[in-house]
Amino acid sequence: MKFQIPIGPQHPALKEPIGLRMTVEGEVIRDADIRLGYNHRGLEKLAEQKTWIQNIYLTERICGICSHSHTTCYVQGVEKLMELEPPKRGLYIRTLVAELERIHSHMLWLGVAGHEAGFDSFFMYTWRDREIVMDILETISGNRVHYGINTIGGVRRDLDEQQIKHILDSLEILRKRSEYYKNLGTNEPSFVARLAGVGYLSKEDAIALCAVGPTLRASGVPMDVRKDDPYAVYDEIPFEVCTADTCDVLGRTVVRIKELFQCYNIIEYLLKNLPAGPVAVRAPRRAKPNEVVSRYEAPRGENIHYIKSNGTDKPERLKVRAPTLGNYAATIKMLKNGFIADVPLIFAAIDPCICCGERAVSLVDARTGQEKIISMNALKNLSLKVTAGKARKREAEWPL
Amino acid sequence: MNDQVLIDKAKASLGDRVEITNPAPRRIFIRVKADDLLAAVGWLKNEAGFTHLSTISGVDLGQSFEILYHFANNFICVTIRTEISRDHPLLPSICELIPGAVLYERELQDMFGIVVQNIPDGRPLVLPDDWPSGNFPLRKDWKYERPPEVIPGGKK
Repeated sequence: MKFQIPIGPQHPALKEPIGLRMTVEGEVIRDADIRLGYNHRGLEKLAEQKTWIQNIYLTERICGICSHSHTTCYVQGVEKLMELEPPKRGLYIRTLVAELERIHSHMLWLGVAGHEAGFDSFFMYTWRDREIVMDILETISGNRVHYGINTIGGVRRDLDEQQIKHILDSLEILRKRSEYYKNLGTNEPSFVARLAGVGYLSKEDAIALCAVGPTLRASGVPMDVRKDDPYAVYDEIPFEVCTADTCDVLGRTVVRIKELFQCYNIIEYLLKNLPAGPVAVRAPRRAKPNEVVSRYEAPRGENIHYIKSNGTDKPERLKVRAPTLGNYAATIKMLKNGFIADVPLIFAAIDPCICCGERAVSLVDARTGQEKIISMNALKNLSLKVTAGKARKREAEWPL
Repeated sequence: MNDQVLIDKAKASLGDRVEITNPAPRRIFIRVKADDLLAAVGWLKNEAGFTHLSTISGVDLGQSFEILYHFANNFICVTIRTEISRDHPLLPSICELIPGAVLYERELQDMFGIVVQNIPDGRPLVLPDDWPSGNFPLRKDWKYERPPEVIPGGKK
């Protein structure tokens, strides 16, 4: 007997509206289908009618969590088109904000993963610690979400001694608190067991389906734009690409925790080696006809903008591919042969912006067409029940 | 692998049919004819080892559509570009070679009205269900007109 379960377009596990339809046999998902289009904003068309400067603020609003990622990707492309060389100090501050954003995004994700796995204290710990990063971002830029720090030719705000000291002091607290995340496996074996083996994506599939970011790196593929195609000042910063080889949600958690520690090191390096000088250069209003492919490693994975100019003050074409779209094909693969109970966890693992609402999933009986409404809490409890006491899960090891 | 090695390899394998440019470090653009697209993508994947397709961009050039396939590996970002006529926008699917391309090809179909042949799943992807057929937003001649707002029970 096969059932079809619609998840979305409005659903607690998906902050962005997206339609998912699972074909299930008992508890096991046999097929999954994805439908976008509930939130199409016509942004690429709109960008063709706005000037280069206006588009910075447009791209910033593509996403709330990785707002800096999109502007940086766009701005560094436009700088190439305008043949501008931003000053070193500007690039350092741009990278600093990028890494702070990565920390807050990873902490948010860890909290959500903890919440979906039924480990709500972890959710509260990480979100408490995330506030420290949000405060730093607010002192630097004046805002918590849309920083508005990038401009064509550099950044809009400089750092002073007091701010640098504040960031370094806060970094100490973050490092100390993150020790707990590192020892999570030894302290909380049940959390590890819940994540192990869920959402399996083999290395071959991850490559074939063009997955990006922590999802790809958790399948053992060391691909990171910061290392492969260094932009801003990443070619002079020492850091490691973090991978895991378990190919499941546990691996994705481990990759993000490892990356947190890399971020702390990068930020410390940036602040201790911050060069003096101006933070921005003046940009022309027009760009010569040309084209550029700009890539950026957002917290969720590779972000790519293709920008084409035509000699006016507006772009001819701005193509944006955000990391989540790159991960959808892989998500379908991860869902297949998994359990319904694991859907929230698997979806959360690619980090597609999640809200913690309390809504319902309707289970449609394919034979009778009868719908059964099940609340998200009941689904979560089901998930905890189903995965209890599996041998391979008990043997799962924490690799940190 | 650096840029020059890949350019030499491409010239040796793909011959005179392609035009290769290298405008910036780690960026290579290869222009091919639409008929040679599958051969070029196949070469890039199997011989040169580029397995990661970042995305597919479409550009409306007025008389024709330009399609750009952005590939990346750990060293270089290669873009294969091809042009197809606007009157007969037919494009072969590369999903046999790169299964992850399906979402980007569906996006092309929706936004430009390009017909991708042999696509494994050609349903609409990014536009809403009630989107009027024959409207392709990213074509340059498509203009959006906001329908006049009618407030129910409001003044006539």
